[in-house]
Amino acid sequence: MAGTGSSELIHSTAAQYAPYIVLLPMLAFPIILLLGKMMNGDKMWKETLKEGGLIALPVMGASLLLSLWLITDFIGAFGGVEKLSDWTWFTSSMWNSGVVTTEISFGFGIHIDHITVMLLFIASFLCLLINTFAVGYMNTDPINDNRNHRFYAEFVLFCSGMLGMVLADSFLWLFIFWELMGLCSYLLIGFYYERPSAAYAAKKAFLTTRVGDVFLMVGLAMLWDLFGSLDYAVVFSEYNIDKVAASNPGTLAWALGLMFIGAVGKSAQFPLHVWLPDAMEGPTPVSALIHAATMVNAGLYLVARMFPFFGAESMHGELADLAFIIAAIGGTTAVMAAAIAFVQHDLKKVLAYSTMSQLAYIFTGLGAALYLANTLDWHHDDTAHAIVIVAFGAALFHLFNHAMAKGMLFMASGAVIHEVHHAHHHLHPHDDHHHDEDPEELLMLANYLADTGQSVFGFFNSIDLDQSGEVDTYEFQTALKKADIADLPPWDMQRLMKAVDMDGNGRINVPELELTLGRVHLASLAGDDHHDHHDEFDAQSMENMGGLASKMPLTATAMLVGSLSIMGFPLIGGFWSKEGIIANTWRVALEDPRFFYPALCVLLGAGMTGFYMSRMWLKTFAGSPKTEVAAHVHPTNTWIKIPLFVLTFFSLGGILFAGMGFTHWAPDIEYGLMSQKNLFEGILYEMEHAFANHDVFFLILSYVALFIGAIVGPGIALSLYGGALDEGESAKPWFAPVLALNTVVKGRYNWDNSSFAQSGFATALTNRLYFDHYYDMAMLKIVAAFSFKAAQADADVIDGTVKTIERTSQQLSTTLRSLTTGSARDYILMAAVGTLALFALIWGVVA
Amino acid sequence: MIDPAWVSGLSALLFVIGLAGAFTRKNAIIVLMCIELMLNAANMQFAAAAVHHGDTTGWVYTIFAIAIAASEVAIGLAIFLAMYGQHESITLDDVNVLKN
Repeated sequence: MAGTGSSELIHSTAAQYAPYIVLLPMLAFPIILLLGKMMNGDKMWKETLKEGGLIALPVMGASLLLSLWLITDFIGAFGGVEKLSDWTWFTSSMWNSGVVTTEISFGFGIHIDHITVMLLFIASFLCLLINTFAVGYMNTDPINDNRNHRFYAEFVLFCSGMLGMVLADSFLWLFIFWELMGLCSYLLIGFYYERPSAAYAAKKAFLTTRVGDVFLMVGLAMLWDLFGSLDYAVVFSEYNIDKVAASNPGTLAWALGLMFIGAVGKSAQFPLHVWLPDAMEGPTPVSALIHAATMVNAGLYLVARMFPFFGAESMHGELADLAFIIAAIGGTTAVMAAAIAFVQHDLKKVLAYSTMSQLAYIFTGLGAALYLANTLDWHHDDTAHAIVIVAFGAALFHLFNHAMAKGMLFMASGAVIHEVHHAHHHLHPHDDHHHDEDPEELLMLANYLADTGQSVFGFFNSIDLDQSGEVDTYEFQTALKKADIADLPPWDMQRLMKAVDMDGNGRINVPELELTLGRVHLASLAGDDHHDHHDEFDAQSMENMGGLASKMPLTATAMLVGSLSIMGFPLIGGFWSKEGIIANTWRVALEDPRFFYPALCVLLGAGMTGFYMSRMWLKTFAGSPKTEVAAHVHPTNTWIKIPLFVLTFFSLGGILFAGMGFTHWAPDIEYGLMSQKNLFEGILYEMEHAFANHDVFFLILSYVALFIGAIVGPGIALSLYGGALDEGESAKPWFAPVLALNTVVKGRYNWDNSSFAQSGFATALTNRLYFDHYYDMAMLKIVAAFSFKAAQADADVIDGTVKTIERTSQQLSTTLRSLTTGSARDYILMAAVGTLALFALIWGVVA
Repeated sequence: MIDPAWVSGLSALLFVIGLAGAFTRKNAIIVLMCIELMLNAANMQFAAAAVHHGDTTGWVYTIFAIAIAASEVAIGLAIFLAMYGQHESITLDDVNVLKN
């Protein structure tokens, strides 16, 4: 009989070691950081330990091994909530008129079920691969030298955050690890903090996700209020859900809705999506980590976790609206992000929008699955049960496929960028030596002195207020203000001081100032020919690439397989799950007409995905090199090749996973991995469902989706971009059909898309549909206006009160002061009169 | 035995003399002496009251007041010395630094 709760208690030794999956990377964090601090610049540290990379690697490897051990122990046994090991953090009691009514203890425990197993594998496996990649990527770029330990330390902390979130047994710990990831994403996106754009991106990512997190926290508080606990064991127990469903199901819907907003922020869905493209400012391994292994999956995980609420019999139909909202947000984001990806020139930005769009698919799939779980009578009807399980499984399977493909795509794009960058440095070595620009304020100062005819010595004496022979920051700042050159805040003054202060003692003396101003003056005279090199070469722009298929064969292969997987090309990776999501959304649309919106969105999105992924591959790898740099790119190093190689097979092997029952990945023992059919039967079953469905509607639908996603979308891209490789360039044989098709299609149609490229819509897309613009405006309007009012209130009310008191007492004292004569005899007189008055007063009262 | 009322009267007379002196004299030492006179007038009043009520509390107060008066004189004279150091005068009219 189908049903939930076929819980089977498992005694596993692996479970006892499960906390170490989280603890190992967490402990590696301080170790790498401290060792890096102590041994910075040391040859052994740099060469042998790769600045911490080879400390992180075995740690992540150990985490993966422990995870695999745990997963194999649990793989056949989905069902009940398992509280495996428990560590109590603190215990608290609720008091009611002096009597302890409830004891609550907060502790960390491990919870394993089908969703945990899936995400645990994704997170630990990809973290290890990305770590391998990072050793090849970070340690070969001189810009990262002597600070890679910071990267690896934050990297392992990030991984432990994700692993902890997945393993935690309560929403409280989920939230704690969730925030840990938020912190690490901030640190890693801002890794190149000296670039203002990176610092801005880090701030933006942190603050945008924070908006969602506030809602998540409110949602959790509401959940706590309803259930009196956040432990999965309590909130997911059927008895408790029934109780809540009987009293106030509406509140539960609101709590889940608010939690979903948190997921929207974390997974970068409309309207909190603005941080994700900017997060590309971090180093590429960080992009891969955020987009594939950790951060964005957290939001999906949270929504998937809500399944028991939607699936509960007592909540029947209550949460259908929320399921629709989830699907609608997903559908909207899928189309919007795909459209923006059309016009991106930056390789990583295309991938960023692609992530957004694919996550939206998963949200749509989850929304559809949750709707089905909430409205169908799946507890008693076997057909309905299978439908729910498959719908939920398809969304989770897409999460798996997307993580594998996107991890690979990001690492491959990193390899491309890395090599293009190196080729550029090889060709234009002089660009490497950027001379530190002198602050323009110094030039203004030199001009000011020349204009007013002052000597440096005279000027120096006039600004040296305390006549100490040296000028400190404050004196310099005052002088610049007085000379009307600049009124700089202290942190900007540091920059000027650094430029002038040659011996680094924090103060300026006469020779330092004289030499600096002389140098600045000379530089300004020699001046203008320096500005030629200012337009920087962008190693991430696809406009600077092209024809790389022959130069980076493995990377090109990985990119091709990854792109096909994301596009949902038949038989490869994402195909199996994407078909499932589209089919299930349409299945719901037949029941509830509202769902036609997300259903149409995902169908349209399939074609758009086909277009932008093909465009990206063709622009990067096909055709002839667009710049001299692209013609001199070399294959990448082994560290980078390993993860690409491994993941290529994971994406190509999509059919195997599908056959193993990954689309049936759901909380039921009968539908567990490998438990229903053997591999061969499974593959046959999947093939039949995908290509020869018995239901005519789904048969047509799957071919429509196939036509749009694998023929129309890529076809348009083939006719617009790429082309044959240059003469004499040879590519691997498996690129031949793609390139040949490209040449034929492009030759036959050779459309001109310049009219579209110049249209207002394309401009809007390039500007990301003005979301950032309007958000900034709204922030300015709301936050700035509020700050202005607050400042005014501060000046008028708070300062005003103090100042009024001060002013009144001043006036009073001026008046009173005129009474004082300074003559001792007058004081004595007054004392006497005062005493008399007091006496008279007392006399009057007594008498 | 003298009637305490007479003592009380004498005390009042002494107090008024002291007060008048303190108001009118310019020499700081004289003013100080006048203040002492007033203090002693108060002491006398205490003594008279103590006799009148047959209570020793008044005597105790007198002893305290004398001790305070002694220290007050010491401080007063020190102030005058300092004043002389600053202004080369102990005439009160010459010293009006607190004016306005």
